[in-house]
Amino acid sequence: MKILIIEDEIQLAESIQGYLKSNDFVIELASTIEIASEKIELYSYDCILLDLMLPDGNGFEILKKLQQLNKTSGVIILSAKETLETKIEGFNFGADDYLTKPFHLSELLVRIQALIRRKNFQGNNILTFEEINIDLQSKSVKVNNILIDTTKKEFELLLFLIGNKNKVLSKGSIAEHLSGDLADMLDNHDFIYAHIKNLKKKLNEASCRDYIKTVYGFGYKWQND
Amino acid sequence: MTEKLLSKTLKSYLLFSVVILLVLAPVFYFFTERLYLDDSDETLILRKNEFIKLTLPSMKESDISIWNKISKDGKIEKSNSISEKDSLYFHSEFDIYTNENEPYHILKSPILIEGKSYSLVLRVNLIETKDLILNIVLLYSIIIILLLTGLYIITKKMSTKLWKPFYNTLNQIEQFELDKDKIPEFTPTSIEEFDRLNNDISKLIEKNSQIFKSQREFVENAAHELQTPLAIFQLTIDSLIQDPKITAEQFEILTKLNNTIVRLKRLNTSLLLLSKIDGNQFVTNEKVNLNEIIFNQMDFFKDQALARTIEIKSDLKENVLLTTNNELTEILISNLYLNAIKHTVQNGSLSIRLTKESLIFSNTGDHISLDTDKLYQRFSKLNPSTHGNGLGLSIIKKIVDQNKWSIHYSFENNQHLFEVKF
Repeated sequence: MKILIIEDEIQLAESIQGYLKSNDFVIELASTIEIASEKIELYSYDCILLDLMLPDGNGFEILKKLQQLNKTSGVIILSAKETLETKIEGFNFGADDYLTKPFHLSELLVRIQALIRRKNFQGNNILTFEEINIDLQSKSVKVNNILIDTTKKEFELLLFLIGNKNKVLSKGSIAEHLSGDLADMLDNHDFIYAHIKNLKKKLNEASCRDYIKTVYGFGYKWQND
Repeated sequence: MTEKLLSKTLKSYLLFSVVILLVLAPVFYFFTERLYLDDSDETLILRKNEFIKLTLPSMKESDISIWNKISKDGKIEKSNSISEKDSLYFHSEFDIYTNENEPYHILKSPILIEGKSYSLVLRVNLIETKDLILNIVLLYSIIIILLLTGLYIITKKMSTKLWKPFYNTLNQIEQFELDKDKIPEFTPTSIEEFDRLNNDISKLIEKNSQIFKSQREFVENAAHELQTPLAIFQLTIDSLIQDPKITAEQFEILTKLNNTIVRLKRLNTSLLLLSKIDGNQFVTNEKVNLNEIIFNQMDFFKDQALARTIEIKSDLKENVLLTTNNELTEILISNLYLNAIKHTVQNGSLSIRLTKESLIFSNTGDHISLDTDKLYQRFSKLNPSTHGNGLGLSIIKKIVDQNKWSIHYSFENNQHLFEVKF
């Protein structure tokens, strides 16, 4: 999978690069529209992460260029600006998703995965991890071919954990993924403990191996060994 | 005590007129009386001269009784004393026709008829002093009434006309709000002073609006600019924690750092939101279903409540549709939820009631009422033990104001109650 990060904040781009690298992504960086334009003309990317405010212009120019070149790369806009107008404009120019800064790397990763799934595997909506089969269409989970009954939150939690396998996830990032902006308001994210506990129990009952590890007081990790 | 400009000018005019008229009344009376008495003197002397010139030469003693009978206001009397001079005096007589004492002005003049001395007594019926005063009072009353009504009407008409531009200006200023973008526009007047006033006010408003606007933009820009460094901070922590060599102690530090960034993010989001509401960046013509929002968020907040064994009761029977901004309404509701849950005591309860007229969040909390003066002020923490940023209630108030709704806080039986009236 090839990903292009168009972002002038080098530190930000490098953090993203570091996090995504271990997930079999090939990552390239571009800090200006000029460099980015050159790259999209020469190569094809599965996903482009696009900052809107770049030193030599507006990120929308890249979106227009992609349309001109008939490229089908998925685009996720990463912007500090969160107005309805910029969002709508972005989607109109062909962006697929919109993440407002600051965001969590774990959130970005699952958004990229979802985008690539949508673009590349049309019709194939089964995600498999070891003995777990997840049907994204019907939102059902099978462990060793036994259907387990999960709530909507537990289903999303499972997807988020597997998507970020072998990564430490802070409680905050999980809460934000499950509850969106509402989680932003809370100081205490202990409520996700209940969801984790329930999910663990259901997986265990279907004799699934225990992949969910607790990371001190910080958060959780989906680990497959 | 303040009164209207019109009544103040009018009062001075009226006072002046009344004082002048009252002071002049005795003078007027005095002059009228003098004039009248002088005139009656002259009448008596004229009649005496007429008598002496026309009647006396042919008068005989035998004619006296007849003359006395015919003439009503003249008499010839036998004179005992031989006085050489005319005498004028006043005398009252009871009149049987009018049934009251009538004052007379009398001239007594010595005359000679056929060598014998007589007195010619002539009299003029005078107006009674009482009548005179009454008449003057009546006249004065009429003058005062006419004058006052005249003055009132003229002043009122003139003033209303003259001060009209002033009242226009006043109305405009009263309707002006600094945080709204509507700047008053004054129409030019024909009066120099008012034009000056309008110009000065316009300049003042323009300057203040400019300052207010740049302040608002500064907060918004600052909050926006902070998003990127915050993102770097967040992403660096997210990356750092992936390092397998991190120890338990280091994780403890990272947890603290992470909590701080969460607070920073929330603070910044709140500031951004407040400045966006100030900048009227939200459309207000969306159809919003309140029940739906409250119900949808209930799930999330029930999780929160459960952790502290707080019971959430809700009464959402009525379906409430409002025309406003969806995002802001969601923020309003979530802040009301959060505020209530945050301040509910362990094992307490939170109840939500929605009707067509209002939305009520009430919760069992501390035994003291909140300080209503500081309630909606930014960064005023009413309860220092909580980690709130002191912006939740300001946001609630801002959204309520934006929609021209109202919010009331009350405290009864250990229940803190917030009511939003639509």
